[in-house]
Amino acid sequence: MLTITNLRLKIGEMRILNGVNFSVAPGEKLGIIGPNGSGKTTLFNCISGFNIAQTGKIVFRNRDITHLAPSKRAGLGIGRVFQNFGIFREMTVMENIQLALEANHRSVIFPWSKRNRQNKEKSLEFLATVGLDNRADEKAGSLSGGQMRLLEITRAIAFGAELFLLDEPTAGVSPKMKVQIEHSLKKLHDLNKTVLIIEHDINFIQQLCDRIIVLDLGRVMLDGSSEEVRNDPRLQEIYFGTNGHGAPEHSEGQPRIAAAV
Amino acid sequence: MDYLIHLAILVGIYLILAQSFNIVFGLGRMFNLAHIAVYAIGAYTTALLSTNLQMSFWICIPASMIISALFALLIGAISFKLDHDYFAIGSLAFSSVVTAVLINWKSLTRGVLGITGIPRPEVLGIDFSDNTNFLFLLSIFVAAVLISVGIIFKITFARCLRAQAEHSHAARSLGVNLVRLRTNAFIISSAYAGLAGAFFSYYINYIDPSSFGLHEMVFVLSIVIIGKPGSFWGVTAATFFLVLLPEPLRFLSISPSILGPMRQLLYSLILFGVVFWKRKTLFPVERSV
Ligand SMILES: Nc1ncnc2c1ncn2[C@@H]1O[C@H](COP(=O)(O)OP(=O)(O)O)[C@@H](O)[C@H]1O
Ligand SMILES: [Mg+2]
Repeated sequence: MLTITNLRLKIGEMRILNGVNFSVAPGEKLGIIGPNGSGKTTLFNCISGFNIAQTGKIVFRNRDITHLAPSKRAGLGIGRVFQNFGIFREMTVMENIQLALEANHRSVIFPWSKRNRQNKEKSLEFLATVGLDNRADEKAGSLSGGQMRLLEITRAIAFGAELFLLDEPTAGVSPKMKVQIEHSLKKLHDLNKTVLIIEHDINFIQQLCDRIIVLDLGRVMLDGSSEEVRNDPRLQEIYFGTNGHGAPEHSEGQPRIAAAV
Repeated sequence: MDYLIHLAILVGIYLILAQSFNIVFGLGRMFNLAHIAVYAIGAYTTALLSTNLQMSFWICIPASMIISALFALLIGAISFKLDHDYFAIGSLAFSSVVTAVLINWKSLTRGVLGITGIPRPEVLGIDFSDNTNFLFLLSIFVAAVLISVGIIFKITFARCLRAQAEHSHAARSLGVNLVRLRTNAFIISSAYAGLAGAFFSYYINYIDPSSFGLHEMVFVLSIVIIGKPGSFWGVTAATFFLVLLPEPLRFLSISPSILGPMRQLLYSLILFGVVFWKRKTLFPVERSV
């Protein structure tokens, strides 16, 4: 589905990715963990096309997309859920989904057209699956953090993405909503979508993913089944910085990982 | 009565100008300070074609719209090199270049002397020298512009523009091609501005670079900001309000030399007031990855 080979990215003088290698099979759920600043979001940006790596190659569904524009990559089926919320707050909840449905058609959709009516109906159906249909006409900005995440995941599903890049979908979300998000992520599983998920909570990630990679200093340090990675002593070293790369970085994920390991 | 017709004509021209700016600035939040420059290009196109070449209405109007739209490509090019505040500065610089050309390319534009004797159009054998007739002609075009802009505000294009204003990364992740989207917005908006310019030329019969200065840009900006950027009806109402607002001042016996500055002061104060009042929400917080 996705193969990344020797990806290196330098922004200014800072080397952010230092040769990332991994690949994902269709339908696979891959968890990505790593300390803050290890390059996880940047890696997603390279896959989405917002950053173009200086060297390396990204192949998606047998197509070299290394230099493709972000909108084209989206068109090929790469969906994204952003770390800092990617919903359009000034638009209504429904419009957020409508836009995803419309994106697949290049033609102008007039407000009175049949297609527009169909899209609205379909949007409501998508919203109903996450219990947001009763908020359809409210501004998306009025939703809670968890609901925004649900909306964004639903939007990516409505868009028709095949590969989902989820950047910390449960960060800053109430425990109750977290369960709901987990639920909608399981739906991705039922739909047999391919998922890359960045997450700090290793318990959460283990329920969802068969495989985990650990990113540190812009490199894949560990790659294996959830069990293997979780029990690997090097995981602690990476999070506590005892492997020679200086003082431990303060990481949001530390306490949870520490508790989990 | 003549006076009311004059005001109605002004409202009509500014409706076209403000709603076209509303597409780029209101929906797309692109701070295009070259909008008046494009309006000037439309006005000069009609002025030159109808005086030097005696071109007819049906040639001048499309020519003004097309040439203005071509300049939009330049503005689009600026917007791909410069983002946000830098784009505002870049478009303002572009606008100054246009003004400088209008002033200095004397063989074509007659510089500050301007172009005089622009004839009123004759369409389908009807003479529009009479202001009432002219208002009728303009009204048809204004209606067409308002209806088409009203539709534009409800199609995918508008949703994409609003989306990219808020979160361009998320918009692109939904397949939005920013270059094409923004270019289209500039083209459509500028074609309308060119149309407004053509009618301005026809109406005033005389144009010079001073009609297209920064004060006009501030005026159009005020209309859209006071009407609420992105709101079709708000901007329509604000056009009436702001164009007609200074009119009562005329009935006070103030000398014209004070009246002009007073109007501008009034506009500036209102603009400042609204910007201050709405400072938290005027621009959506631009977010990224
Ligand atoms: N556009 C950028 N310019 C400069 N530095 C950046 C940029 N984007 C990310 N970085 C740096 O790259 C490193 C990795 O960032 P990021 O990928 O966001 O980490 P993570 O998501 O793993 O927490 C950080 O040190 C960050 O400061
Ligand atoms: Mg991150």
